[in-house]
Amino acid sequence: MAAVETSAPPGPTTPAQPGRRKLTGYWLLLPGALWLGVFFVIPFYSLLATSLYDPKGSVLGGYDVTFHLANFVDAIRDNADVLVRSLWYAGLATLFCLLLGYVLAYAIAFKAGRWRNLLLVLVIAPFFTSFLVRTLSWKLILADDGFVVNTLQTLHLMGDNDRLLATPVAVIAGLTYNFLPFMVLPLYASLEKIDHRLIEAAGDLYASPVRAWFKVTWPLSLPGVVAGTLLTFIPAAGDYINASLLGSPNQRMVGNVIQNLFSATGDYAAAGALSVILLTIIIGLVLIYVRTAGTEDLV
Amino acid sequence: MPGDSRIGRRTILKGAAGAVFGLGSVAVLPVFGQGGKKQDPAQCRADDESARDKRLVISNWPEYLDEDDGKNLSTLHLFEKKTGIKVSYTDDVNDNIEFFGKVKNQLGSCQSSKRDMFMLTDWMAARMIQVGWIQELDKTKVPNLHANLIDSLAHVGWDPNREYSAPWQSGLTGIAYNKKKVKEVRTFEELLTRPDLRGRISLLTEMRDTMGLIMLIDGTDPSRFTQAQWDKALERLRKARHDGQVRAFTGNEYIQDLAAGNVVACEAWSGDVANAGNDDLVFVPPEEGMMIWADNMLIPNLATHTANAERWIDYYYDPEVAAKLADYNQYICPVKGAQQAMEKIDPDNVDNELIFPTEKTLSVTHSFMALSEDQIRSYEGDFADVTGG
Amino acid sequence: MSQAANGQRADGSRSLRLSKLTKEFAAFTAVKSLDLEVPAGSFFALLGPSGCGKTTTLRMVAGLETPTSGSIHLGDLDVTYEKPYRRPVNTVFQNYALFPHLDIYENVAFGLRRRGGKEVDRQVREMLDLVELTTQARKKPPQLSGGQQQRVALARALINRPDVLLLDEPLGALDLKLRRSMQLEIKRIQTEVGLTFVHVTHDQEEAMTMADTIAVMNAGVIEQMGSPDELYENPRTTFVANFLGQSNLIAGTIVGRDGDVVKVDMEGTVVSIPAERAHADAGKGWVGIRPEKVLIAPAGEPINAPGNHMTGGVVTDVSFVGVSTQYLVRMPWGQELMVFEQNTGHRAMLAPGTHVDVSWRPEFAFLLDASQDVNAGIEEA
Repeated sequence: MAAVETSAPPGPTTPAQPGRRKLTGYWLLLPGALWLGVFFVIPFYSLLATSLYDPKGSVLGGYDVTFHLANFVDAIRDNADVLVRSLWYAGLATLFCLLLGYVLAYAIAFKAGRWRNLLLVLVIAPFFTSFLVRTLSWKLILADDGFVVNTLQTLHLMGDNDRLLATPVAVIAGLTYNFLPFMVLPLYASLEKIDHRLIEAAGDLYASPVRAWFKVTWPLSLPGVVAGTLLTFIPAAGDYINASLLGSPNQRMVGNVIQNLFSATGDYAAAGALSVILLTIIIGLVLIYVRTAGTEDLV
Repeated sequence: MPGDSRIGRRTILKGAAGAVFGLGSVAVLPVFGQGGKKQDPAQCRADDESARDKRLVISNWPEYLDEDDGKNLSTLHLFEKKTGIKVSYTDDVNDNIEFFGKVKNQLGSCQSSKRDMFMLTDWMAARMIQVGWIQELDKTKVPNLHANLIDSLAHVGWDPNREYSAPWQSGLTGIAYNKKKVKEVRTFEELLTRPDLRGRISLLTEMRDTMGLIMLIDGTDPSRFTQAQWDKALERLRKARHDGQVRAFTGNEYIQDLAAGNVVACEAWSGDVANAGNDDLVFVPPEEGMMIWADNMLIPNLATHTANAERWIDYYYDPEVAAKLADYNQYICPVKGAQQAMEKIDPDNVDNELIFPTEKTLSVTHSFMALSEDQIRSYEGDFADVTGG
Repeated sequence: MSQAANGQRADGSRSLRLSKLTKEFAAFTAVKSLDLEVPAGSFFALLGPSGCGKTTTLRMVAGLETPTSGSIHLGDLDVTYEKPYRRPVNTVFQNYALFPHLDIYENVAFGLRRRGGKEVDRQVREMLDLVELTTQARKKPPQLSGGQQQRVALARALINRPDVLLLDEPLGALDLKLRRSMQLEIKRIQTEVGLTFVHVTHDQEEAMTMADTIAVMNAGVIEQMGSPDELYENPRTTFVANFLGQSNLIAGTIVGRDGDVVKVDMEGTVVSIPAERAHADAGKGWVGIRPEKVLIAPAGEPINAPGNHMTGGVVTDVSFVGVSTQYLVRMPWGQELMVFEQNTGHRAMLAPGTHVDVSWRPEFAFLLDASQDVNAGIEEA
């Protein structure tokens, strides 16, 4: 409402004009509202309804919305370990993405010179093949008989019976690999905007390069850090491809459980409840995070 | 200040709007319920365009159909040559439940699945027939089926007179291992517990195969078991999973992990190992016993080439064609007379127990109990809790 | 201005000495073997058109560029290859480069905090007082006007009491009026704090207003260095003559030296130029005279304070600029001379087409070597 009030011109004007302006504003909102309605509000309600299905429903017999709130209790009780594991894996992957991505984005923004565009294209290049195919190829690379494991075993960095595939290492590495571009691009965008003279100015004002990074570059790149970590953490927490292809059943993430409940068991109620719980946890974490990072304007 | 009362009014208005919105939301949620998926195959059928449109669209499991071999045409190409029907054949069935997920929305609401035929395992075939998604076969158009189907498969409980289904191949579930990497695995119990196999075995996502074999460890009969026996078997599985013994629960793709060396031993289907063409891979019947099953040709509702599909069934029930097929995929052949026909095609396979099992072999095979809808949900749920979560 | 032997004054500021300083980039040489000495406590301006190498010189002093050869000394201290953050030098950047994420207070405190200085709060408050921004301390830089940002930039550098303060076109982003008042403001502050200021600018008026000493730079070398009036009154090159103010440069042939003067035959008139103002002694030369030194009168009328007298001019253009009237006069040999006449009101403006005589006192003229481009420094100014 406030937006409409301020968009009306101040002071006395002809009475017809503000009304027409207001209407124009609403018409302009329409495509966005429709988009949100079709692709967010309706699916969200559908998911919410699913989480309240009668747990006795079945694919063949149908499902009724009986507001069975115990679905949530059951979902948390049955999947607490998986939820914790998902957040832990996604958090670690986000941290690794940040460490790798910051160095990469920094190098591209400040040191790459004429290679900059080429490097950016290379960062995006993995998107030209499908997520699934890329993850499958990691399965080949990390295979027990593959050259990575063989090399590490030859160097005695791994025992003969150790493996990479079907371990948390492989799953977290897969998540890190797959979501790295989502970290690099916002980081690059915010680093690239930093006026190089600010860093010179910090050096001129007695800040060593390390201090200058902490006092100037890092705080100015924070919007990119926040955007990048959110873009990495949120999809990573709900991902199931990496855990299912690179992990064993002991590395299952919440995405795998939801997928399994939906497509194998047909237990829509539990699947819906678990999805809503995941959504709530992520929104909660994001709010806390963004508040702490001091970039409320992103929310 | 005059603002105070305004703020008070605003708060109340906001609260009221929130309450209305919340109640409205709750009221609208039941709209998102889902109806049942039962259909009546008599109502939900399409006109047969077979005569006019000489095509046939089939979905089957991978590695399940012979291929052209030098100058010998595959059975599929011979069928096309003989009938003039163009077959679109896709191997997109990897797992019964996964495939069920692919077609349930269409078939459950009387829409076309865009297929004229697919092959599914007994229990899934039973379930689909039960909810009316499958068209009845015209008996007069499949004479070979009724003449040549082997006796053991002719009268199953869920389709006593084979009015809706025709077995494509039958098979056994047992163990496969890589003899170069690991010493012989003789029992299913070894598979689940042997320390040298830790993290290097895979099991199948087919609940009936996996749980059946585990029940056999305890001597439980998978066709007649109690809840306590089920629970005991489930506990064995849970322990194996938590100990990290199991690397993956898979569909048909297990054979790739086995060939790649990521998995050294696994639960396997009899024909796959022979088909893999790798001499290091061995199929073993576990000492506890094996599971037996069949995949069935089914014609779904709204299929538009019913008569062509029936010609296909009748064609594959010709003993010579059946022998050629079995020679390729090494599964149990459901067609009488194929063993004699095999003598001409590949004498080595005439006495292959995996294709033509003797009575003695069949005596150690088991099938899984028929389950009610409630039992399906309960057992599938239990199983998924262990394999998926 | 008592200066200790080591070039460091009692209050801590030091002299700056550049020796044979050279900076080559891949494609060109920005600074060629530059020698320069800036006395401690002075306000020094590096003046030149863009691309003349003045900013590169400044950046080398700040440590932001590494010299190709040569050396930089602060007093006795060789800082040629010292890291920028270890130099007792601070810079007021062009466009200020204020830290947008820090408020004004923290911007000003930045250098002190890095050096772990004591009494940060007291010093910051004093400095904000000096630049009259006490009330803005908690605002962020984008909320301030251009002039205020400029003062923050100055305060942020000054608070560190550097041996040398570098100002890189500090007023370039301000409008004319604000620029004038900031010029005086900066000059006031410099006098108050007594630090050595090195000011880089392309604006000759700004340099003359603020600096004690100006070095005019062109194409990587210093053309001439001296006090503003010295440079203006006695330029040594055509570039300086044209870049600082305007000059009439008339071709002549040097006749020879006669005592304290050099005689030059200029289009038939022999003019005498004092020896200390003659920067050529044989062959061809440019006789230079500033337009305001040229007196003008209608043909035949006597000219007050006569000197070198030339007849036969015709007024071709007149522009009235208030304090003065600017004439263009075509001389018999075809050259147009600029003449600025003070608006004293003793005579009406001369109309275009009027036949006039012009005259100037010989001691105001200067003589330059003819090998130089007569137009050097005009375009750039």
